[in-house]
Amino acid sequence: MIIPDRSEYLKALAQSGQKIMGVLPALYPREILWAFDIHAAEIWDPPGELLHANAHLQTTICPIVKKSLEFILKEPDIINAGYLFPHTCDSLQNLGTQVKDLIGVSLPVYTFYNPKGSFNNTTTKYYQDILKNFQSTLEASYGPLDPEKLLAACVLSHNIDSHLLAIQLARMTDHLSLNNLEYFKLMRAQEYLLPTDYLSLLEQVDILDQPSETPRARLMVSGILPPTSEILEFLDELGVSIVADDLLAVSRRIPKFPMDVPVSPLDYLTDRFFILPSCSTRGGDLDERLHHLSKLMNASQAQGMLFNMVKFCEPELFDHRLLVKTLREKSIPVLTLETELESHISGQDKTRIEAFTELLFEMVSP
Amino acid sequence: MSIRTELRYKIMKDYGAPAVMALQNFKKRKPRPIPEAFGPPLESNKRLKEILSRHYFLSRYVPGVKKVAWVTSGAPVELLRAFDFYTIYPENHSALVGAKKQGADYCGIAEGSGFSQDLCSYARIDLGHMLSGKTPAGKLPKPDLLFCSNNICQTVLYWYKAIAHELNIPLIHFDAPFVTSEQTEADINYMAQQLQDMIPVLERVSGRVFYLNIFEDILKRSMETSKTWGTILDAMKAQPAPMTIFDAFGHLAPIVSLRGLPVAQDYYHILMDEVETRVTQGIGAISDERYRLIWDNIAIWYKVRFLATFFAERKMNFVTATYTNAWAETTGYLNVKDPWNSMAKTYGQIILNNNLKHRLDLMKKMIKTYSVDGMVMHSTRSCKPYSVGQFDLRKAITTDLDLPAVILDADIADERVWSEQQIHTRLEAFCETLEGSKHG
Ligand code: SF4
Ligand code: SF4
Repeated sequence: MIIPDRSEYLKALAQSGQKIMGVLPALYPREILWAFDIHAAEIWDPPGELLHANAHLQTTICPIVKKSLEFILKEPDIINAGYLFPHTCDSLQNLGTQVKDLIGVSLPVYTFYNPKGSFNNTTTKYYQDILKNFQSTLEASYGPLDPEKLLAACVLSHNIDSHLLAIQLARMTDHLSLNNLEYFKLMRAQEYLLPTDYLSLLEQVDILDQPSETPRARLMVSGILPPTSEILEFLDELGVSIVADDLLAVSRRIPKFPMDVPVSPLDYLTDRFFILPSCSTRGGDLDERLHHLSKLMNASQAQGMLFNMVKFCEPELFDHRLLVKTLREKSIPVLTLETELESHISGQDKTRIEAFTELLFEMVSP
Repeated sequence: MSIRTELRYKIMKDYGAPAVMALQNFKKRKPRPIPEAFGPPLESNKRLKEILSRHYFLSRYVPGVKKVAWVTSGAPVELLRAFDFYTIYPENHSALVGAKKQGADYCGIAEGSGFSQDLCSYARIDLGHMLSGKTPAGKLPKPDLLFCSNNICQTVLYWYKAIAHELNIPLIHFDAPFVTSEQTEADINYMAQQLQDMIPVLERVSGRVFYLNIFEDILKRSMETSKTWGTILDAMKAQPAPMTIFDAFGHLAPIVSLRGLPVAQDYYHILMDEVETRVTQGIGAISDERYRLIWDNIAIWYKVRFLATFFAERKMNFVTATYTNAWAETTGYLNVKDPWNSMAKTYGQIILNNNLKHRLDLMKKMIKTYSVDGMVMHSTRSCKPYSVGQFDLRKAITTDLDLPAVILDADIADERVWSEQQIHTRLEAFCETLEGSKHG
């Protein structure tokens, strides 16, 4: 299974004339973009130094926002259809209007509001209105949307979700022969691959008939993004497998359970949004979130939880205290790492990870 | 509700509170001498203190008599008033703690229990209060209900969720979609429907029935009060301005936390009369107003006196602020004949829920109409929706209007964030530029 390099892949796509929209975290109706033949290239943690973003943002703003702005300020050629800012948190909300109304970029800037709090019929109706408005906004630039294409995009999305759910389950039960680094590379490839390419990639994933060798310890990870490659590799070296996740970039964007094959795009997209796992950024119910995490931990038999916290991320930091407290009350070991998305793992973090994994090993074979 | 509890509340309301206020006035230490740089203080200050002390004092006797709701500053409280909730504003309480320079102490309690130091200090102070029961207001009643709206920030939703979980009480959230260009019909319908959906929940929690006519009266009062507040702020266009924005930060409390109640309505009439008289008589808040400034963002509560004096001594007066304006800006949308939609427009479009183009235009307009010579922006560590974008706002304003501006990095209520050296250097440089620009 070969996963193409993100920047080379997107460069080639742009050169081929593909319309590409830069999409910031996290939730948006990708299917509508696909139906307009627009490819969504997600911007989470683009590499490179912060050279210009610091002149626009305070030091206490999270690195995802800063890195995204740095990327946008470079006006990269690979993005040619504009930027989409889904409403995720206060910082991204303001960044969207800052880029559009104050900094100014040559490409159009779109926004997409995700309802917050607990959901009911009023929210469902509103979400459908937002979807329709988003479609109309794009129609103003790209002409009328072909309903058949939207349905096909939903079917494609459904197909991808089905594969992802199967892969997640296989991961939880050791039916996947991928290490941590390979697994998250695969999961994150959806951020930049064309959906058809991504689906082909998922189809190549080998789900084993029998469980593979049991890892020395099983871990669940929670946060916005998976740990950096260095940390994933380090965990691989230690024999610790991340068997389940509660990451915004990964499983919080996959429906909790399989959905029926789409018939009506609007209903499908609405249902899909409302059956995503509870998430801090949507102001989701804390009990529901705790319940979901505990279900994942049980299903994957994870022995500990690693919180990979992006510095200054308010939505995550608020929930974090209760999650840690609840897990500790259940005697589940917890490790919290704070990340500024630096690629290098600090000596101190390495030591903490080692000590934590020792604890997990002891639990397995006291 | 027991007859005894109700009786006790009534006695405290009618006799206890006035007696305590009188005693406080009697016991009051000699007033601090007013630095020469200031004009005569506002007479209304006394009344303001009375109102706020009474509100906090009475809150101790409220459990068992009225249901208590903790509410965010931007939430459409008029609806709660129709059910006679006794409302407490944690943001207001946190500001009070901050002003008493106790913010770090309360934040420390929250941090000690696992909340991150990177969270908004209003939230940390409130969580510190919730976990310890500490308050400079004597004692605060536990809430029966939480009511929040993300029209000021998403933070309040995360924060109130944490309280709701800890205290196991209901949370009503009013979801206000951010206005990226203008409110859509869908946004308005969504918000209007949410308000109506709240009625059965509020009836259940309060044990009271909703009457539209009562609600309309409250709405009318709220509209009138906000309008009066707007008139008071307008009076600061006069030269010299009859009060400083630092006064206004204090006088803001009733419009935030007692909005919709007769006490707030009456109070602003008193204040309006006083500022208008001062304008007629040419009485300024500072004795020699040479420069007029705009303040952006929430106050630095633990440094209000310091900043007021620093600027007054340099003959500089803050005559307007985006913050104080927030409770007057969108009231024009309120319409008793169309309560739900008009509340959606009013509460959905407040400054922090509106795009930065709107904010820039508004600031430019304020700078013009209040004859402003310079701008001070407080970049607060706590507040992302107020602070993200400030660097570019400053750039646009200084370029387009050729206005001197300075950014102060601080925090609203956590005094540990204050850096004396850095602030002094920036302020001195700003004052020099301002003086140079006006005389240059
Ligand atoms: S990391 Fe947190 S604060 Fe930053 S963009 Fe994501 S949700 Fe927002
Ligand atoms: S200071 Fe800002 S982040 Fe904190 S509660 Fe107020 S609006 Fe929200």
